[in-house]
Amino acid sequence: MNRFDRRGLRFVAAISIAALAAGMAGAASAQDKVTVTFANWASAEGTTRPGIEKVIADFEAANPDIDIVSEAISFSEIARQLVLRARSGNPPDVAQIAGNDTVLLGSTGTLEPLDGFVSEQLAANLKPGADAGLRQGDTLFAFPWNQSPAGFWYNKEIMKKAGLDPNKPPRTIEELNAALEAIKSSQPNVIPLGMDTTNRAFALSSNWPWMQAFGAVPVGEGATGAESAEMKAYLTWMRESAQAGYIDPGRKIGEFRPLAAQGNVAFHWDQVLLKGVIQGANGMSDEDFFNTWGVTTLPTAGGKATTFEGGHQLIMFSGSKNKEAAWKFIEYLATSPDAIANYTTSVNSSLPSIKTTGNAELDASLDTPVFRAFSEEIIPTLAPQPFGPDFAAAATAIMAGVQEAVTGTKPIDEIAASIQQQLPK
Amino acid sequence: MAAETSMTTARARPRARREPLLDWMVLPTLLVMAAVVGYPIVYTLVLSVQDYNLLDFSPANYIGAANYAKLFSDPIFWQSLGNTAIYTFGSVGVSAFFGLVLALLMENLGGAPFRAIRALLLTPWAVPFVVVAFLFRYMYLQNGGIINAVLLSTGIVDAPVPWLNSATIALPAVMAANIWAMTPFFFLLLSAALSAIPNEVIESARVDRAGTWGMIWHIKLPFLRNPLLISSLLMVISNFNDFAKIWAMTQGGPGYSTSTLVVYVYRLAFESFEFGYASAVGVIWLLMLMVFAWLYMRALRMENR
Repeated sequence: MNRFDRRGLRFVAAISIAALAAGMAGAASAQDKVTVTFANWASAEGTTRPGIEKVIADFEAANPDIDIVSEAISFSEIARQLVLRARSGNPPDVAQIAGNDTVLLGSTGTLEPLDGFVSEQLAANLKPGADAGLRQGDTLFAFPWNQSPAGFWYNKEIMKKAGLDPNKPPRTIEELNAALEAIKSSQPNVIPLGMDTTNRAFALSSNWPWMQAFGAVPVGEGATGAESAEMKAYLTWMRESAQAGYIDPGRKIGEFRPLAAQGNVAFHWDQVLLKGVIQGANGMSDEDFFNTWGVTTLPTAGGKATTFEGGHQLIMFSGSKNKEAAWKFIEYLATSPDAIANYTTSVNSSLPSIKTTGNAELDASLDTPVFRAFSEEIIPTLAPQPFGPDFAAAATAIMAGVQEAVTGTKPIDEIAASIQQQLPK
Repeated sequence: MAAETSMTTARARPRARREPLLDWMVLPTLLVMAAVVGYPIVYTLVLSVQDYNLLDFSPANYIGAANYAKLFSDPIFWQSLGNTAIYTFGSVGVSAFFGLVLALLMENLGGAPFRAIRALLLTPWAVPFVVVAFLFRYMYLQNGGIINAVLLSTGIVDAPVPWLNSATIALPAVMAANIWAMTPFFFLLLSAALSAIPNEVIESARVDRAGTWGMIWHIKLPFLRNPLLISSLLMVISNFNDFAKIWAMTQGGPGYSTSTLVVYVYRLAFESFEFGYASAVGVIWLLMLMVFAWLYMRALRMENR
């Protein structure tokens, strides 16, 4: 019995020493590892989660000394959370961000300037204008992850059924009105035009090119205010479109996408990612997609055709203790062929921000009718928007006015005056 | 015996009040309350007299009552206040009425089928508010919503009704969802209050040949007055703070037609990051809530008497 006890004791001691040694080795290895926290909405959304998780796993496999901790935050919440976290001194190392939110974060002065990290080779490989709006003075405060401008999508099948030429999308608002009328009368269950009329900064970004199509510039540089004839023309057109049943007010842009996938939206003002969403929802092949959908620039009425950059950027907070590792991760996400193939062009269905990926097969896969239309026709119409803290305040006022125009009976002049009164002075 | 016990308790209370140790025992609670309730309130008051924007990392400026002055000339604040009053009192009033009617109708119905109906009537109260909001949001959809589908197929309307997209009907539509969710609360509470009416009173009324209306009007409603008052005040406080349903259904739109004080404060604080001004609106909102809370406490004391 005693002998058994002694042997048992020796066994337990040996196990304990082995476990301790393994633990110490593990601790030493963990100490060598650098942790980079990555706040993003890609891992919060079902369609993009598998892609971003694979990219992160691939990065960690290629960089065993870096551990990425992904923090999933929804798109609509991320700016609020990042501002609050920056304020309270615990921001993540790297974050995904887009649109006005990027400039909002930039204005806080809590972002790390990235110029020192960008090599000459990388700078030369960036697409022209990819970093537009991402500089304060000469300082680059955000790196362009991908490009996702909006285009005017048209469903050729619906156009054909309405007696319209599917290869001649409307170029002017007048032509658009005629097409909307033809579609509404021939296919009453189809939403003739999908556009975001919610009250949020993204909706103003999305509607900004429509305002510019009428020549309206409500805020920012060269602003003519909300009471200009052009702004009133835009508001009037929105009201008439809603009253005729051409637009479906109150829906977020994302809520039109499943309907578009079902063939129930004729024209849709949406980003390049629409292709991926539609194919993900209905399993359409590339060939069928290109036969059904086309994309072009926005129709105009006195103004010019413009679009907005809905692509995503990557930012690094100046409080990061692991800046080199954080930059390595940012560079990998934006430029590595693996990340571009597994996330950017596939699940996120957007364009890389670099000219060539260094992978001939991948570069060739980007040569599709949709990507070509965006690169050659739509991206040249990209127009900067007056992003910043005032844009968010203006968004609430302008989009509330747009909603009043679209859903109410208040005279347009009164709505325009009310918007003007609320705009930041 | 009962009288003796009661007298002993009455004698014991003053002695207990004089025991200083018992007074000190509330200190931990007071400290916790000071930290989780007192500090945020004081900090909100401080912020409300500052020009404090979360995006501006420079120190906040003291601006005195400027935020309050701005508030009084802010049309959106007044519209939000009006919407809050309509939403709160409208929802509570209608829910209380429906709850009362249902409680009276179900009062004397027994048996398994009615127990099942009673349980079914309570289910809306068990549904989380955000789920209620999304449920109604999709039912109200202008294109593809079930309510419009039914109205169109039965020929009641010629064109889809823009339930949440019309500045005039969006607020009543949101209130309808709220009323659906809140009615079971009143039904439950008033059913319990009805069952607590002494049988002797009901029997006496029957002996006096009280009819159905007479019984409801002269016997039951006076007994239900206090529970109705207390539950209504409780729901007024709860609805005054209701954010989830409105935000999930309309985000305060279209325009500002469904924007309540809580939605307006949220937009100011977390979209414009104007914490100073948002705090001033918050202080006014807090003062109004304190009035309701005071009324509630008074009603509770009346009930105890």
